[in-house]
Amino acid sequence: MPMITRRQLLSGLGAGLLCVMLGAPSPASAFNPERLRQKMQQAYGASGVAMIDEWLAMIARLRGQQVGDQMREVNDFFNRNVRWRDDIAIWGQEDYWATPLEMLGKREGDCEDYSIAKYITLKELDVPGNKLRMIYVRARIGRSQQSQAHMVLGYYQTPASEPLLLDNIIPSIRPASERDDLDPVFSFNSSGLWAGGSQESRADPLARLSRWRSVMDRMRDQGFI
Amino acid sequence: MSLIKQLWLTVILILLLAFVGSLAVSVTSTQDYVEQEVQIKNADNANALALSMSQMEKEAVSIELLLAAQFDTGHYRLIELRSPEGEVMERREAEALDNGVPDWFVNLVRLDVSPGQAVVQDGWRQYGTLTLASQHQYAYRTLWQSTLEMAAWFALVGVISLMLAWWIVRSIRRPLVEVISQARSISARRFTTSREPRTLELREVVQAMNTLSGAVHTMLSEETGKLDQLRRRLQEDATTGAYNRTTLLDHLQHNLDSDSKRASGVLVMVRVDDLPEVNERLGRQATDDALKALVEHLSQLANELGGGEVGRLNGSDFLLLIHGAQDIEHVSEALKHQLTLLRDATAEPLRLPAALTEYTHGDTASQRLAALDGALSDAESRGDLALVVASGAARSPLYTTHDAWRTALLKAMETGIALALFPVVNARQEVVHYEAPSRLELDGEWRSAGLFMPWVARLHLEDRLDLAVAERALALIESDQQPLGINLSGRAVGDMAFIKALRQRLERAPEAAKKLWIELPESTALHDLSSFRLLCRELQATGVKIGLEHVGSEFTRLADLHDLGLAFLKFDASLVHGIDQAYDQQTILRGMATLAHSLGILAIAEGVKHPEEAETLFELGLDAVTGPGVKAE
Repeated sequence: MPMITRRQLLSGLGAGLLCVMLGAPSPASAFNPERLRQKMQQAYGASGVAMIDEWLAMIARLRGQQVGDQMREVNDFFNRNVRWRDDIAIWGQEDYWATPLEMLGKREGDCEDYSIAKYITLKELDVPGNKLRMIYVRARIGRSQQSQAHMVLGYYQTPASEPLLLDNIIPSIRPASERDDLDPVFSFNSSGLWAGGSQESRADPLARLSRWRSVMDRMRDQGFI
Repeated sequence: MSLIKQLWLTVILILLLAFVGSLAVSVTSTQDYVEQEVQIKNADNANALALSMSQMEKEAVSIELLLAAQFDTGHYRLIELRSPEGEVMERREAEALDNGVPDWFVNLVRLDVSPGQAVVQDGWRQYGTLTLASQHQYAYRTLWQSTLEMAAWFALVGVISLMLAWWIVRSIRRPLVEVISQARSISARRFTTSREPRTLELREVVQAMNTLSGAVHTMLSEETGKLDQLRRRLQEDATTGAYNRTTLLDHLQHNLDSDSKRASGVLVMVRVDDLPEVNERLGRQATDDALKALVEHLSQLANELGGGEVGRLNGSDFLLLIHGAQDIEHVSEALKHQLTLLRDATAEPLRLPAALTEYTHGDTASQRLAALDGALSDAESRGDLALVVASGAARSPLYTTHDAWRTALLKAMETGIALALFPVVNARQEVVHYEAPSRLELDGEWRSAGLFMPWVARLHLEDRLDLAVAERALALIESDQQPLGINLSGRAVGDMAFIKALRQRLERAPEAAKKLWIELPESTALHDLSSFRLLCRELQATGVKIGLEHVGSEFTRLADLHDLGLAFLKFDASLVHGIDQAYDQQTILRGMATLAHSLGILAIAEGVKHPEEAETLFELGLDAVTGPGVKAE
């Protein structure tokens, strides 16, 4: 993910939270493997379907396992199968938040795409939402130690504890204190995103204002949630 | 429910629907909009504040200051920071403000906004959860005010629409009421016409009814015209249009017997001297014209003196019958004037000797005519335009001066009026009503109207007498429950004050008024038709029945009376006399009765003397008869 300005960050966050309030899933929508396959077939053909089947098989395998195992497997799955590239290279846009389906179809993704995909997968594995947090971090990469805007997924055993980080720069899961290359900037409690109070329809014009809302809508349409 | 009431209800219902509907739409959409805006503001501000806090030193005072600054400079209901364990670290809450919005309204439109939440980071750890809620009480006030404004606007619109509706209703109601009253009139066989209203549908109804009334009017005119031709042939002299001998002498006799001011009057006889010779000299046509002119001048004289009749007794003798007591000198002057005018107008001077005499109640026709004959011979011998006054029958009058009469009459009226009762009966011998002429006690005796009416008229006491009679009649009806008929004198017709006074009396006894029959002489009513119309309208409202008596010579004008709602017509004795023998008369009366019935008017015959006459009359279709020969069973 290229440089995120403060304004982009705030607007993204604000809009995201707005989605929490306004864009709760309609009761009809739910996790729907058939629909996922169908959508994948339409968009990315057989190779995409193979990928989504692999993903579905992993979910089926991990269901009911230890949280630690689930996190490791999920983290590995995406880090292994998806190539890290900038949005501009993949999508021709400065900043595009892709759904897991799009990411798996392309087999390419930016940092926030990883976080979203891992988050959705763990949620599907019944990891409590309030333990998972998307964290904006400043990352120093490589020998040049150049700073870059980045996003990771944090797992908080308790609200006050130090999080475990699911990242794609360093593929293995590590406690935050071991990541000297990352400086946390801000996090948001993503459990709220799907637990909002209001029941706005997808036709809500506000949907287009927010990246979060946009990606959630697409995920709902594709059958993730 | 009436059309007009339905219209009102519809207008009010539409207004209410529009008001409630637009209020609901406006409040709900404002509510939605405000909820969204506040929600966005809560979320955005919570995130912005949490972000700021995440970036700074986590020192209690700084955090508190930042939170307080945000709270104090912003518009918040609540800002709260809780530790990850859920303990309150900082909290600012605004007191509830009283914004003057009623509680019920707040409860009704209650805004459903959840507070914004964001987590403050302390490095990798969570420092606390920030909860932020904006102040949205102002929104209630805005909603409340817009509701009030809308209500006010709708009240204004309501007033305007109700005024418009009122105007429409009024512009419908007025012609509608007129249409209804015209329809009622027609159903009561009063064929009125009315102005055409502007409302198209009503106009068509009114046009139809007017056409109907017009057709009835035309039919009446034609039919009465035919009957009148018959009557003329029977009663009038073909050449001059004056009454023939029989008819005029009938009239004279009836006047002498009558209970009205006609019981007294003046008789004038004019002779065209040497008529055969005049005829020879002038030729037939010119002679006829001269005779017509004479009749016209005599009629003119009668009109000037308050009414009368002209008849041709034989070829050269003309009789003028002037109603009401007169000053004989004055009549003589006026006659001289008219005859002079006539003589000057004709090419060949005519010799027109004339005789005058008074007649009063109690005289006999033959005796008066004999006196006139004598005087006329005298005048003939005196030459051109000679006028001779024959003295009246030698009878000592009750009082000799005007003042004496006035005093006596006023006293008698004060003492009390008696009413004589003459029955009017129908074919089943039931009394329709009693004719009730007045009786006054003068000089110790009850005197009949024929005696004092001429004096009442001469002294202008008719109004007073009429009112007294009406009052007496109403009292009698109330005590005996018998329907009574009274006469109104001619002067009453044009006198608005009298009509109003009479109406008041009738309104005081509404039940009795329904049994009161009021009649006026045909000539009086038709003389001033607009006044008579007014009298009918004023008095009929009280329930009295109004009709005409002595109907005959002006029957053709029934067409003009068809919309008055007359209750009855009493046909003149001269048409009734000897009806059982006279087939032409029978034709006339049958036609008159039929026409009267077609207008819902009772046909009554006056002056019936014999049972045979009554029998014939009932066969002809008359509803009732009255006269000397009619007795109540």
